[in-house]
Amino acid sequence: MNSTWLLYMFFAVGLIGIGIYALLTMKNLIKLFIGIEVIGKGVSLALLATGFAKGNILLAQSLVVTFIVVEVCMVATALALIINITKHTKSLDVRKLTKLRG
Amino acid sequence: MVLNIALLTGLVLFSALAVLARDLIKSAISLAVSSLLLGIVFFRMNAPFAGVFEISVVAGLITVLFILTIALTKSEGEVGESKAALWAFPIFFVVFIVIDALVMKGLMNKVPALPGAAESGAFGDVLWKQRTFDLIGQLAVILAGVFAVLALFRKRDNDNE
Repeated sequence: MNSTWLLYMFFAVGLIGIGIYALLTMKNLIKLFIGIEVIGKGVSLALLATGFAKGNILLAQSLVVTFIVVEVCMVATALALIINITKHTKSLDVRKLTKLRG
Repeated sequence: MVLNIALLTGLVLFSALAVLARDLIKSAISLAVSSLLLGIVFFRMNAPFAGVFEISVVAGLITVLFILTIALTKSEGEVGESKAALWAFPIFFVVFIVIDALVMKGLMNKVPALPGAAESGAFGDVLWKQRTFDLIGQLAVILAGVFAVLALFRKRDNDNE
């Protein structure tokens, strides 16, 4: 693998780091979900960069397209869940979701 | 290469802005801009189909869904993020980037090149002939998403009755 691949990987890992920070520190449900989206961007960049470095760009593209479609389904379901949770708890705060706490 | 580095830096900065911005609408717009930059990077890597999907679906559709959700939940008031999380981000980010750069520098010339056969044919051949099983899984995921959204909103109707 060459240095171009490592450069793309550097940025992909940076994106994943930002997403993990958001997941660890934020309290707003929508912000948490934006963190998950940022992690997804990092993963698709890593997938396509690896395909680009290996010369398998078509296979990497088809994987990224699959990933994007799955991501859209995940977003639709998760946002519907967030709307329902907000109607239930009257707040976007993730700390209010304590009914399942033992 | 310089343009690629500028695009990737912008991608990381807009993603950070999406996570840190106080206003949720600004977060959603920053996320859309970062998707747009990622799509341009995909185009520059000779991956036009992935770029088109990234720009049209992720920057377009997902942003619309986010803004719709933000509008629907706006009446419940804002959630105050803790100040410490916002102040600690630059320190975390710099430390993380330095560790990231050191790890990548350490990996230079150490990762062996994986065997890869050169590809031939068009994108459609690879997607429809090589990845057939993925497409079945993809259909299942789309159906699961549709049924999940239907079930979630039907439950609310029952609650109202």
